Amino acid sequence: MSRPTGPRRLLLLALAGSLLAAVSACAPPAPQVSPAAAAKAQQQTQSVETPYDIRPLLKPAHKYLGVAFNGSPRATAPVTAFAEKAGKRPNLREYYAKWGDPFQAEVNRAVWDGGQLPFLVWEPFSSTAAQIADGKDDAYIREFADAVRDYNRPLALSFGHEMNGGWYPWGSKKTAAADFARAWRHIHDLFTDEGAADVIWVWSPNVINPVPDVRLKPYYPGDAYVDWIGVVGYYALSGPTTFRTLFGPTMTEIRRFSRKPFLIAETGVQAGESKPTEIADLFAGVRARADVLGLVWFNLKKEADWRINSGPLSLAAFKKAAADDSFGFDVRKP
Amino acid sequence: MERNDSTMQLPVARPKTRSRVAETMQLRVLRPRRSGYALPPAPDSGWSAAPSSRRARVSRLVLLALLLMQTALSLRLQNTAFEDEALYLFAGHAELGHLLHGTKLYGGFESYFSGAPVLYPVLAAAVDSVFGLAGARALSLACMLGCTSLLYAMTRRLFNERAGLCAAGVFAIAQSTAFMGNFATYDALALFLLALAAWIVVRTADSHPLLTLLAAPVAALAVAVKYASALYLPTVVLLCVLTAYQRRGLPRALARGVLLAVVTAVLLGAGLYASGYLAAIQSTTTARAAGTTPSWTILRDCARWGGLAVAVALLGAFSYVRSGRMSEMPGWRGALPGARWRAALGLLLVGTALLAPAYQLHLHTEVSLHKHIGYGLFFAAPLAGVGVTRLMGAHFKYPQWAIFLGVVLLSSGMSQAYDNFHAWPDSRALVAALRPHVDAHGTYLADTYEVPVYALGRDTSYRRWNSTYTIDYTSRSGRHLTGAAGFKAAVAERHFTLIVLDRGNPTGQSTTVRDALIHSTGYRLIGTVPYATAWGSSRFELWAPS
Repeated sequence: MSRPTGPRRLLLLALAGSLLAAVSACAPPAPQVSPAAAAKAQQQTQSVETPYDIRPLLKPAHKYLGVAFNGSPRATAPVTAFAEKAGKRPNLREYYAKWGDPFQAEVNRAVWDGGQLPFLVWEPFSSTAAQIADGKDDAYIREFADAVRDYNRPLALSFGHEMNGGWYPWGSKKTAAADFARAWRHIHDLFTDEGAADVIWVWSPNVINPVPDVRLKPYYPGDAYVDWIGVVGYYALSGPTTFRTLFGPTMTEIRRFSRKPFLIAETGVQAGESKPTEIADLFAGVRARADVLGLVWFNLKKEADWRINSGPLSLAAFKKAAADDSFGFDVRKP
Repeated sequence: MERNDSTMQLPVARPKTRSRVAETMQLRVLRPRRSGYALPPAPDSGWSAAPSSRRARVSRLVLLALLLMQTALSLRLQNTAFEDEALYLFAGHAELGHLLHGTKLYGGFESYFSGAPVLYPVLAAAVDSVFGLAGARALSLACMLGCTSLLYAMTRRLFNERAGLCAAGVFAIAQSTAFMGNFATYDALALFLLALAAWIVVRTADSHPLLTLLAAPVAALAVAVKYASALYLPTVVLLCVLTAYQRRGLPRALARGVLLAVVTAVLLGAGLYASGYLAAIQSTTTARAAGTTPSWTILRDCARWGGLAVAVALLGAFSYVRSGRMSEMPGWRGALPGARWRAALGLLLVGTALLAPAYQLHLHTEVSLHKHIGYGLFFAAPLAGVGVTRLMGAHFKYPQWAIFLGVVLLSSGMSQAYDNFHAWPDSRALVAALRPHVDAHGTYLADTYEVPVYALGRDTSYRRWNSTYTIDYTSRSGRHLTGAAGFKAAVAERHFTLIVLDRGNPTGQSTTVRDALIHSTGYRLIGTVPYATAWGSSRFELWAPS
């Protein structure tokens, strides 16, 4: 066999080169996502649940009967004990989480499966509102939001509660109202961006009575960012002792800039002779207003005894008030 | 095997003494011989270049195996309906309703479809009514199997069986073939009709010119099914001229080509006049909006999706121009076409493979490029078949080349087809999420509304759905709004019962709509549906009045 001559060799080389180029062109392009991320997304797609539509929980026909106690949200025994004492099982459970804590999806799922809407109060002790608004903690917020999205059940969420008070780092003495509202909107936007749709956003000021000079509107992020307005107020031995005087001024001020429904997001009656009367007043006040969705009882002995069983008369009064058909419903079938 | 009629008589000596047993055998088993053996003459070769029934049978068996492999390669691709499939199918159902029951049409399909809405969509919808999406896709598979068979038949006539089988093999394992074989759009049917037209002109090259004219309605129908098929009509006409020239000379060949072109043009003109689809043809095909995809990206993907097959075709064309001898029979003396004719055929077939990429480069768009490459590949495949046979050499001297090419083409074709078939999300989770929110009375907005409209066709109507591309909205104050202003007003006035946005593939005014939703008090995000495609992961967002 004769060896290829010059031009023929060149032609063969060119053909071999073009074949080689064509073969290498057949190689798949570099993946646009990491294999791990693609595998996770594929897994999510295959095991996806139908998204939970929380809208029926936003304005239910009946009132929420909520409770906060030590050990929440993990402990379940106090719920049973509370239900036995109160004669009615609560359908909302409030608990507190520090800024930086991960979202505990399994625990919240257990709360929901137990018939209570989890109500997370997020306390930004470790970052200022301005830092949060400027994006310092975006990675944490996104991770938290992803976990909430994958949890795929309702969650009421209050960021920086009692912001109009001066006793917390995010309160009026250390944080500008504009920064607080900006931080709120930023968190909300990141949650939306991550697809965390099942959050009921609870903007939760303290009643204005102890801080009459602090206006609420500058702290308000806007109706597009809030579902409920969760007012915090206690029947203490000193101060207002009726629903109208305790919550009325705050609700009146809020109604000047928002029509969102109220939740009494934290309340209790300090142990004393008038406690049974004030318990009845609280329930009557909530029942009387269609725009108040319910109440959350602070069932702790902290600084004072706020528990329903601080005395037999108080317990009886609570039992009687909670027995009203207006309070309590199955949050899983609203 | 070729045999000679003449035989040669050889004298054989008889045994002088025979045993009793041998005599019995002679009587009972062996035929009595008259005067010795009659041996046929030894031929020059153990086989022949001439056609034979055995060769045809073996070739058809190999072709059948290739078709089975092609079927498997197509059917291994599994995904829910792509938006184009969903669009053509629900449009076909609407057209069927119009044709059978006089139901009023609202889609304006004829104004933006890239093929006649009364042809493929109606056919596919009729199949879909009985067999569902799998049936409509099976129709495409049948068309693509038909393409491969016609390719074999055409290549066999142009060259020989071996080249035909190699061409069919190259075509059958290409990503575009596997993809279109399980994809319920115009493409498979249009390509089948083009293939049929090409085969007719080759098959009737030495027949009466009127028989060649059978290709005219087929080619016209291919264009009607998918307007872009017109890009390949010149190839069919030139193929007609070239194949006829070989047997009839230039004047007759030219006359035949002109006749075919004129009749096809008349048919197309008549169809255009009767249908009034000119505007749609302009908007979807001839004056299609230019994209922004860089030329380098288009070239790279062209090389990935069809580069190797076209390179082999180029090799085949060069080799064929150098030597037109297709037989490896020693001493074969057949009539060979001239070098210029061979060069013209090579240029025509390989050049056709470059038409679609060139047009898409001109438009700077990659839309459907992975399918359109398959059109050109059909025409380049005969020479790719020649290329493979030449690489293998006479008597399969270098089979490693064919094995190498087969392995590379098959593996790349499989992985590319898989990627392209999973370029869109599996919509089952989305449809399940939408079902509780969709009824016959709601008003819906969606990025890719075609998929839910098709999947939820029993619960809703396409008339209730709006894409994010255009809107014609009259606000409560009576203002008539379009574009971004229309979408913003519709969101502000809570016009839509449900809005579905695709974060991974926002279309039209999707971003404007989302911005309006985020700052709206009238809507809230009620859920997300994650998805993963071959290119990444993202999610659908469901927004509903709060």
